[in-house]
Amino acid sequence: MSKLDKLEDKVMPVADKVANNRYLISIRDGFYLAMPLLIIGAICCLIAYFPAQGFLDFMAGIFGAQWNDFFTVTYHASMAIMTIFVVLGISYSLSNIYKQDGLSTAVIALVAFFILTPFTTSFTPEGSKAVYQVSSVIPLEWIGSKGLFVGMFSAIFATEIVHWVYKHGWEIKMPAGVPPTVAKAFSSLIPGTITLVLFSVLRLIFVYTPYGTLDNFIYTILQMPLTALGDTLGATLVANIFICLFWLFGIAGADVVGSVMNPIWYALAAENLTAFNESSTLPHVITYQFNSVYLWIGGAGCTLALCLVLMTMCKSEQCKKIGKLAILPGLFNINEPVTFGLPIVLNPIMAIPFLLNPIVLCLLTYFLISVGIVPAPNGVMIPWTTPVVLGGFLISGVRGAIWQAIEVVITFFIYLPFIKIIDKQYCEQEKAAKAEPEAD
Amino acid sequence: MKKILLFCSAGMSTSLMVTKMRKAAEKKNIDVTIDAFPEAEMAKHLDGTDVVLLGPQIRYAYKRAQKLCEPKNIPVALINSVDYGMMDGEKVLDFAMSLI
Repeated sequence: MSKLDKLEDKVMPVADKVANNRYLISIRDGFYLAMPLLIIGAICCLIAYFPAQGFLDFMAGIFGAQWNDFFTVTYHASMAIMTIFVVLGISYSLSNIYKQDGLSTAVIALVAFFILTPFTTSFTPEGSKAVYQVSSVIPLEWIGSKGLFVGMFSAIFATEIVHWVYKHGWEIKMPAGVPPTVAKAFSSLIPGTITLVLFSVLRLIFVYTPYGTLDNFIYTILQMPLTALGDTLGATLVANIFICLFWLFGIAGADVVGSVMNPIWYALAAENLTAFNESSTLPHVITYQFNSVYLWIGGAGCTLALCLVLMTMCKSEQCKKIGKLAILPGLFNINEPVTFGLPIVLNPIMAIPFLLNPIVLCLLTYFLISVGIVPAPNGVMIPWTTPVVLGGFLISGVRGAIWQAIEVVITFFIYLPFIKIIDKQYCEQEKAAKAEPEAD
Repeated sequence: MKKILLFCSAGMSTSLMVTKMRKAAEKKNIDVTIDAFPEAEMAKHLDGTDVVLLGPQIRYAYKRAQKLCEPKNIPVALINSVDYGMMDGEKVLDFAMSLI
């Protein structure tokens, strides 16, 4: 135990730092605000391009060939312009941390983001090779998945400037008696002006660089390398090992690791969904749902199979009781009853399968997707609470659903020998307790 | 009428705890409202709250919670991890009531 305690002393400060970093918190909360819209938009995209030809033909037969416009328009109005909500959400959350007005700051941040966004797009007419620059448009590509990191940057930087201005007391103060709403409108005038001027200067500077725009710069320098790294097997393995390590100390690992990885995983998912919507090849194997659907069945460590082992293969009352208690939440990928109840936390025997499962599943799933046996996740943002089989079906079709079921079987047998050891211990303890009921 | 709030990362597993605690409260005839929310939403739910409990898995958020609750004189505590794992509504309810 003392060794584990020492290790915990090392793990806690890391969790503390990451989980309490104000920028990571505001990015997390910003996505959190945007998430319902992203889920609705993604589901619309999924319906419009449902992974079953029969369904598509059926709908086209009833409503005509244009039937899916109904859903793609909603997709375009939500998920496809996700960066707008993300900017508003992040700036609003960070403003709350700074205790300044969230809405007015968020609007300033959104305008700041639009200053950086080029209001032109290139257009090639059908049958022509000439590329035309079309002005007076807001290009979907930069307010969708490609603009995510620029959005995060704009939201944080703009909110910081506003905060800095307020901190120095540079605001127009109205005399008492002026209605508060009027005063409020004026109070954001100076921070707004300073922020927007600075962003305009920033935009201007980038016109003279080879990148042309800051959007392009951040996309090339930050988003592409980070998503490319996030799309590797190695990074995914490391992230998942950390998630389970944190859980072994009773810390919500997916939250701590997620505050760093989620923006990257979301961006990867969004890029896949954009490709899915255009019916082109999905560019990434790893997305948020690669993790949530294929590696966290029942929760981190794939504990749904563990609940099944506890219910069906154990003799001790303790194991059976926890299995029964944990199976329902487990179906929705909530596993605190097993992690704290069995427990897995600080339990060296359970640590082995708990760490082994995500590694095995990650390797197998990555392989199956790479060789094309299981289709790559389509990027549809389904909630992490989506039950097993349904989740696989929604992101990779029937083969995804079947693979998830097989995963449960694999992890069942990985957990089995270790649970047998625990079960035997509990049985002996229970026997001893029965023999001398006053042993306490 | 006392108001107990539970928080965890997404308010999911604490909501399980809440249903167990409500049952325990009914049995003991204690007049309380108990709810669970994501930790991210803590600030906007605190008004009128008598005690705040955190799931043990977000103990890294304890200091942040304290900062929010202290000015409002709301006690904050972590739920014992064994009671949490066993979803022991009665014990956690007693614990919450002892803090008020």
